[in-house]
Amino acid sequence: MARVVILGAGISGHTAALVLRRRLSREHEVLVVTPNRQWNWIPSNIWVGVGLMKKEDVTFELKPVYDRQGITLRQARAVEIHPEGSADSSKPFVTIESTEAGKEGSREEISYDYLINATGPKLNFGATPGLGPDGNSLSVCTYGHAEQAAQELAAGIERMKNGEKLTFVVGTGHGTCTCEGAAFEYIFNLEFEIRRAGVRNNARIVMLTNEAELGDFGVDGLQLERGGYVIPSKAFAESLFVERGVEWITGAHVQKVEPNQVFYETLDGESHSLAFDFAMLLPPFTGVGLKAFDKAGADISSTVFMPNQFMKVDADYTPKPYEDWKATDWPSTYQSPRYPNVFAVGIAFAPPHQLSRPRKTKNGTVIAPAPPRTGMPSGIMGRAVAMSIADRIEKGDDAPLHRASMGTMGAACVASAGSSFLRGSAASMTMYPVVPDYERFPQHGRDLGLTFGELGSAGHWIKRILHSMFIYKAKARFGWWLIPE
Amino acid sequence: MSTPSDAIKYAMKPSRWVLFWRTFFPYQLYRFIWINLRMLRMIFKSHQ
Repeated sequence: MARVVILGAGISGHTAALVLRRRLSREHEVLVVTPNRQWNWIPSNIWVGVGLMKKEDVTFELKPVYDRQGITLRQARAVEIHPEGSADSSKPFVTIESTEAGKEGSREEISYDYLINATGPKLNFGATPGLGPDGNSLSVCTYGHAEQAAQELAAGIERMKNGEKLTFVVGTGHGTCTCEGAAFEYIFNLEFEIRRAGVRNNARIVMLTNEAELGDFGVDGLQLERGGYVIPSKAFAESLFVERGVEWITGAHVQKVEPNQVFYETLDGESHSLAFDFAMLLPPFTGVGLKAFDKAGADISSTVFMPNQFMKVDADYTPKPYEDWKATDWPSTYQSPRYPNVFAVGIAFAPPHQLSRPRKTKNGTVIAPAPPRTGMPSGIMGRAVAMSIADRIEKGDDAPLHRASMGTMGAACVASAGSSFLRGSAASMTMYPVVPDYERFPQHGRDLGLTFGELGSAGHWIKRILHSMFIYKAKARFGWWLIPE
Repeated sequence: MSTPSDAIKYAMKPSRWVLFWRTFFPYQLYRFIWINLRMLRMIFKSHQ
């Protein structure tokens, strides 16, 4: 009998748990450790953040699903990994700390045969003074944050109905943020709702982003075939901003957020400030701060994790200039180079470098969007690692590992720009591969036959269907495995 | 900062005709099918 422990139940961890449970016979145990009782379809938090959905629409209780599937659930956060075991036993284990009501803080050691680190990010609001719901800005990263943003937006709309003119700032709260696509979605949903409320003339709406150009999305932008031309996603994105009357500030590193005032530095090294009445600024991510210890109890975190606390896997972490970056630098098996029975997927693995060209201001401030590794790529990684582990348990340690590199996989992104069946729209985008590969696709880095972008109501319908389909899949309803990640 | 008034000199602004097609139901129904097929092609390639 083998035990597979999965730390985290986000898109990658939950996918891995369901795939493993389906692949492995019941003599083997699949155990998930997650601090949250509820599963959250995070892409739809955008709609919670403008008041179109409630928490119940984007979440469900994990326990009934795991009970039905035969997956063991521990409501706890992982705090330590002991991949060599301890002085008393060579069996590797993790130390977890309960988050369950009534048991908060109680610790437990759980041994494992295979470990998947799918802990996702720590929302690092602390990187920017005053950033976040505990400071002076809002967020939509969790459903709780999104509900708060919706309340603030509703209050703002009421003020505008009374004739006040308000400034709304949406974007990234640090020069190294990722998930610019979420800020893009939020700003256009916010604009759509303000327009629907009939107070658009009283709203100034500004995008404040660390992207050097709009449409970069942390993936170094895209090239798209449109109207007989190959155009950059910058043109595609800017046209939407101009159409909706939304201003933008690019290449910005937010230095601090004070009440109703954001201070930022731009790529030219100049410092600026912008007054606001409503600010939704995303935080940068780090790893969750897991510690690793060897058999003797010595801290080996620096050999297992990168300084940003994401876990090292089979990537090429050799520092090199942007011009020398290759798609093959990116991991494909997500196996720890030091411990073959440990894997890291989703946001938890350490990327070898950004995808967008990193830039510094003349003051030395780094303004470099971090690479996105959420959604479809996270799900595919979770499945690949689950298949690898299932093969090794069933066929032995020599079974080849499954591969799912972001250098050879694509991603679909449907970015909502307003929610309404007939008047709403979304940007439907696909890219292949996620990591530009200039050896296979010398001109554009991507296959233009599989990379496209289009705006229209059809995109909104797809986004709405994906919402229902992925929640159905996550609930492991009949035939869930037929739905691709 | 790029304001809509100066950015319009450099950015492509969709015409009324383009905006019409973006929400014209029969055309969007056709695009819905086309986009799904194109996404499926990319998804199957990514799962190989």
